[in-house]
Amino acid sequence: MTSGQQHAEAAGRVPAASDASSLALRVDRLNKDFAGTRALNNASLHVRRGTVHALLGGNGSGKSTTIKILAGVYPADSGELEIFGAGYDLGSYTPATAQQAGLRFVHQDLGLFNELSIEENFALDAGYPLRGPGIDWRSLRRHVSDLLAEYDLPLDPGQPVNSLRPSDQTMVAIVRALQDQTSAGDRILVLDEPTARLAAHESELLLEQVRRRSELGQTVVIVSHRLREVLSVAHDFTVYRDGRVAGALVAAKPTEDQLVELMAGGSAGALRPTGQASHAGTDVVFSVRGLESGPVRGIDFDVHRGEILGLTGLVGSGRSSVLKAIFGQYRPSAGQMTLNGAPYAPHDVGDAVDAGVAMVPEDRAREAAFPDQSVSENFAVATLGENFTRGWMPRGRERDTARSLIRRFGVKVAGPDALFSSMSGGNQQKTIIARWLNRSPQLLLLDEPTQGVDVMSRADIYAVIRQAAADGCAVVVASSDPSEINALADRTLVLSRGRISAEVRAGELDVEGLNRLVLRERPADPDPDPEPNA
Amino acid sequence: MSQSPSSSQSTATVSIPVKRAPVPVRLLESYAMPLLTVLVFVFFAVFPASSTAFPTLNNLYVIFGSQAVVALVAVAALFPLVCGYFDFSIGATAVMAQVMCAGFMANLGLPLWLAIILPILMGALVGVVNGFFVTRLGMSPFVTTLGMSMLIAGLMIWYTGGQTIVSGIDRAIFSFGSARWLGLPAVFFVTLAVAAIAWYFFTHTPFGRSLYAIGSSATAAKLVGVPVTKNVWWSFIIAGTIAGSAGILQLARQGSATASDGGILLFQALAAVFLGATAIRPGFFNVVGTIIGAIFVSISVSGLTLSGASGWASNVFNGIALLAAVGLSTYLGKRKRQGAST
Repeated sequence: MTSGQQHAEAAGRVPAASDASSLALRVDRLNKDFAGTRALNNASLHVRRGTVHALLGGNGSGKSTTIKILAGVYPADSGELEIFGAGYDLGSYTPATAQQAGLRFVHQDLGLFNELSIEENFALDAGYPLRGPGIDWRSLRRHVSDLLAEYDLPLDPGQPVNSLRPSDQTMVAIVRALQDQTSAGDRILVLDEPTARLAAHESELLLEQVRRRSELGQTVVIVSHRLREVLSVAHDFTVYRDGRVAGALVAAKPTEDQLVELMAGGSAGALRPTGQASHAGTDVVFSVRGLESGPVRGIDFDVHRGEILGLTGLVGSGRSSVLKAIFGQYRPSAGQMTLNGAPYAPHDVGDAVDAGVAMVPEDRAREAAFPDQSVSENFAVATLGENFTRGWMPRGRERDTARSLIRRFGVKVAGPDALFSSMSGGNQQKTIIARWLNRSPQLLLLDEPTQGVDVMSRADIYAVIRQAAADGCAVVVASSDPSEINALADRTLVLSRGRISAEVRAGELDVEGLNRLVLRERPADPDPDPEPNA
Repeated sequence: MSQSPSSSQSTATVSIPVKRAPVPVRLLESYAMPLLTVLVFVFFAVFPASSTAFPTLNNLYVIFGSQAVVALVAVAALFPLVCGYFDFSIGATAVMAQVMCAGFMANLGLPLWLAIILPILMGALVGVVNGFFVTRLGMSPFVTTLGMSMLIAGLMIWYTGGQTIVSGIDRAIFSFGSARWLGLPAVFFVTLAVAAIAWYFFTHTPFGRSLYAIGSSATAAKLVGVPVTKNVWWSFIIAGTIAGSAGILQLARQGSATASDGGILLFQALAAVFLGATAIRPGFFNVVGTIIGAIFVSISVSGLTLSGASGWASNVFNGIALLAAVGLSTYLGKRKRQGAST
């Protein structure tokens, strides 16, 4: 079966489904230009009452723009909007109109006050109930605990938000957004990347909640790039590409590949496993024995020249801790490491860099970006010592290097002098990987290399990582995304509660199997403080 | 309305608009400060109230002489500021060096060279202590250096007993302070030399470049292998050392030493640094901009004074200049971080 046919067919079904009464939200012929760039081109979105609708698309596809227009943040250039059958003029549409019409938004950044209690978070949104001149704490607590009970959340309203597990924090934000609704049918809940910050099992808990709400008649729009999750919960799908509708699937059960195909438009080949394209050699570049650091215990592994080693596991399994110990960010409490046969014990990050180790950290914005500096400076910062020759640091040479790196890694940017912050997330990530590959490292560590990166750039980044391995670099990729591990790694170590619980070679398991392996958590160590030489 | 998905080539990642200000706008932004300085100079040169006294060689001598010390303190302030830390103790450190240099000669009879070197080393020591508190103990630089400033000022008043040290100072230092090279005060050339070295450090050494990286993101700098703690600590030591040298220059110019908290020196210097961040490399603290900023403040204050404005006018002007400069450089910095234009 060719996916193209399926889409054309699915798209054709839209008019039939858009009979006015059954639609909670109807957007048609939506256009929006940004400084001459067409962000939305006759885009549409039809959300049926009481369904979970997935709005999908890569970065720059226009899905975020649509959400911002619906929220009243951006004005649309033209278009038609109907919410629960009532038409709205997009010319005079504001955030207040969106609120009145019954749209409720929960963004990726939940907008919760982390140090404050759940009930105060509710009150700061809707206002404190008063009794006389003071706050009526008792009625606030009753209101909030009733709401939490309604949503089956066994939480204490007095608990501070930062003591909750991540999925519950998201649920608190959702309940807060819906706190004024009288029946499930009169609001549309828009979730913008609700699981982006959640680990796999936390996402499952959240999506289970969303599923339950939709069974009660709640209309939900989910914007996400985690396709597998969306597939498990959504009834209808709208896929945007380049500001147009690439496909609208009503009451359909598409496969992940079909959605990726729609989003990426035929360039998704790189997302599949490399199979026999492995470049792994037989000589060991890096090895570690008995590593202990933070939550991590007894880690042994070797990485070979040209090999891509995957590290996966749930949040808290110690993925990042292993990388940080190798990169000299944390001093391991026990264990030996060797790099190219020589003992390797970095005192700090500088030592690790000098020894030929590079790391692309998980939190790009905070840990890797110099946002107010130029792309050229962002490259040069990793080679300051090398650029200092005969007492000078010629900027011309730095720019030339930057230009060649931009070309080599296909970074889409105006030039070496453009600001780092002017690039999209995917190009920022390419810049950071290029910064390190410019040093031709022996060992490249990547922590969640495609987090918050669109499908298109993801394929590019995979290609870059593979090329680095082909050039003889030993690569370790830590990722919580099983499909990423499946697509990239020649060999995968599954971490569970700080120990290696399984080793999988490429092709032995599919994404599903890998995911099951990750989710099947090892029982906790009986002794909270095991002997150092266990 | 939906297209066949498989055929069309995706341009999703190309469509991110990179806005860029046109070249003339960028040039104007970089050179607005120097231009304004020239305009202010021309204005006071032709303005009837000041036109007789302002554009004279003698007045230029005063302008550059008085501003040499402020500019040097401003260069000192640059080092911690570039990595995102305030050092409020440099004004007091300069006064300490001035008082101690005079005191070492007047009270202990030390030779001139030793009386110059020891106070500069004391300035460096203040930087070591500041750096220790801020980087090792993680104390707020704002409050730490403010406290250090008060402590030093207090110790100096105790040392001098509140008296001005006038006698017993080597005459050689005065003759240097009043010497003219090419019609300009010799001390101004000392400042220029230090500024040139600082410029070299900031733009052409890995150390200086790493300070900008730390100022942009300390965490990211650490993760590319920059020794953040060590370099920030050094920035405080350099600040203390330069501030100490500024105190020696001040003694050479004034010929006497009085203990004070150095507040006026500090705030004039900060005005110069923040004005400087609006020029040359808008949004970033930089040496050339700082020197221009110092000259701008000096020319404006001198012009106002010669036009008959009262003594408070220079304080008011400095205050307004500092507020405007901080406002502008904050705005420019914010715009950079949001990636609007270059």
